[in-house]
Amino acid sequence: MPEINDAQQSRRNFLKMLAGTGGAAAVLPVVDAFAADPEAVLAKLVQQTTASDNIDFSELDVLERMRFELLRALQKTPAERRWVMVIDLRKCVGCHSCTVACIAENKLPPGVVYRPVIEEEIGEYPNVARRFVPRPCMQCDNPPCVPVCPVDATYTNEEGIVEMNYERCIGCRYCLTACPYSARTSDFGYTYTQGNANGDGFILGSDIAENYERAANFEYGKQYPRDEGRNSPIGNARKCHFCQHRFLNGQLPACVTTCIGRATLFGDANDPDSLVASLIASPNVMRLREELGTEPRVYYLV
Amino acid sequence: MAQAVQPQESAAPPQKLRQSSGSGFVFRWTDIFWIIGVILLVIGASGMWQRITEGLAPTNLTSYVPWGLWVGFYDYLVWMEVGSLIIFTSMIYIIGDKRLAGIKPVVLFTGFTVVTMGLLIVLLDLGHPERFWHVIVYPDFGSMITWMVWLHSSYLLILIVELALVLWGGKRGQRIVQWLAYLSLPVGLALIIVSGSIFGVVAARPLWNTASLPLMFLISALAAGSSLLLLLTVLFWKDKTSEDYHAVVKRLSRLTSVLLITGVFAAGVIASTILYKGSGNPSRVDALNLILTGPYWWSFWVVHILMGVLIPLAILLNASDKPRLVGIAAFLSSTTFVAVTLNIVIPVLVTPELEGLATAFVDPKLNPNYVPNSMEWMVLAFVFGIGGIIYGLGLRFLPLQSRHVEESHD
Repeated sequence: MPEINDAQQSRRNFLKMLAGTGGAAAVLPVVDAFAADPEAVLAKLVQQTTASDNIDFSELDVLERMRFELLRALQKTPAERRWVMVIDLRKCVGCHSCTVACIAENKLPPGVVYRPVIEEEIGEYPNVARRFVPRPCMQCDNPPCVPVCPVDATYTNEEGIVEMNYERCIGCRYCLTACPYSARTSDFGYTYTQGNANGDGFILGSDIAENYERAANFEYGKQYPRDEGRNSPIGNARKCHFCQHRFLNGQLPACVTTCIGRATLFGDANDPDSLVASLIASPNVMRLREELGTEPRVYYLV
Repeated sequence: MAQAVQPQESAAPPQKLRQSSGSGFVFRWTDIFWIIGVILLVIGASGMWQRITEGLAPTNLTSYVPWGLWVGFYDYLVWMEVGSLIIFTSMIYIIGDKRLAGIKPVVLFTGFTVVTMGLLIVLLDLGHPERFWHVIVYPDFGSMITWMVWLHSSYLLILIVELALVLWGGKRGQRIVQWLAYLSLPVGLALIIVSGSIFGVVAARPLWNTASLPLMFLISALAAGSSLLLLLTVLFWKDKTSEDYHAVVKRLSRLTSVLLITGVFAAGVIASTILYKGSGNPSRVDALNLILTGPYWWSFWVVHILMGVLIPLAILLNASDKPRLVGIAAFLSSTTFVAVTLNIVIPVLVTPELEGLATAFVDPKLNPNYVPNSMEWMVLAFVFGIGGIIYGLGLRFLPLQSRHVEESHD
């Protein structure tokens, strides 16, 4: 009998639970259908169970729950959704996998980082601790970076994500100075492979690496190949967008899925039954530099 | 145009003239501008080539210090050009001191050159300079940079028309010149205030984010501009033996002194308020301390305060009847004001917004420290080279000091 790993087990439990709450489908056909077309099955199940109050998420990985909630949120109109990120600092171990996943997902070049993890040492010996503070874009409700843009190249979309229009940005970097979280970086046009030694038949893989690096990313649902010229996003301001291209397609942001401690959580705060909605109502929640009135959508549990 | 070239000889001091052998080329002291311009162009060429082919990558600018040398120099040039023209226009058209009218073409042409250099610098500072027209086509008037670009472009347009009418508009054009001069006052004032507001509205940077910063820009621009106007008077006044010349130099010396003292006093009041124990925002205090006692303390204390304020003040207050000394004081004061703008722009950005961010992800372009590198200086040299050539050739070929121009204002 093939060994079933935790994730598969978890998914199977999830489907069983959904089937149970739906009350109609048999478990095994659902599993088979899921393997064939997971998105369609999940969407259908979500539709069937949206009104249900009896879902027990306690047995599930929070990723499954967040994905379920994400799909449920996508049934609503964009203006009805309020995406937030919750970062549990007590669970973050400083592995930086979110940073790496973000770089891989968005094909970030050298010098561009959307989600660094700040490491702090607190206290004095012998009472010393380390704290890790991931810092994505805060997707502020009052973003100071937006009004300073002279050409409307950055704006808040209808579901609250602060977007960049790479084709319009002139690269004045005013938004970089205006962001109180230093959450924007400038793309100076570097690649990781430039300047590397090369030689056909001697250094294997360099062409593949370079081709990979030049291939398009999918930010904002568009394709931006990094060709030899200085086209966008080179010369632009760049920033985290909560992996909008992923979540609009039913996938959680890359930093969320790769968090080994499940410290980074994502969802629709307008959904009262969502995980994030319950967490941001806790008394141990804080946001960075709240005194500036930016109303960040990234909450930290401390 | 022919009559424009003729009277130039009388403008240059006789002792500085010399005939070059055989070619008929007469060297004038003003040729030094385009000669220096060519030298700067050569010095800056490779840096400019890097800027064109590699963008902003070769600069020492980073994502944490996104503005540096070029933005500092842009503000300096705005202060100089607009400040000098505000003082000049006010003296002629508001105070009614018509004695200065003789140097009007030179003052306007200096303004035109400096405005052009300023626009060029700020253009080169863009990540996508080829998209500069987006600010005209897709403007967001909630942004101070939009206002800056629009005001700066309008100011350049006013200057060009005004200069053209002064040079070639004859007596009929002078009425329009007067109205353009009036128009240049609010546009110029707005440009300076907006230049200060670009920094003043940034809540994320506490030292910038004060209502007093745009006003400090205005006071500083007037002081820097007054120094420049004094320098232009000493350099380009035709009859240096006249009583008018000495009277104007004396008057401008006093005005410059008052403005310098006012600027230093205002800066001192603001600084002491920030540094008062218990009242200071830590980030604001850190940035100010970086200016006053940081590694580049000398740029503020030695370059600006000593060379730009104290020495010029000593000369202007004690030797205003000695135009050559006054000229040196005006030169020192007007050139060293750049230390102020650089100290406004850079130390604030170098002060980190979030503790620990600098080491969270290490990359040369995520460095919170900034010192302009040789490429940045070379690009700046190239821009000043272009300015020097425009200025030198203008002084040689345009009727900036010709008799008919001067007479048209008398």
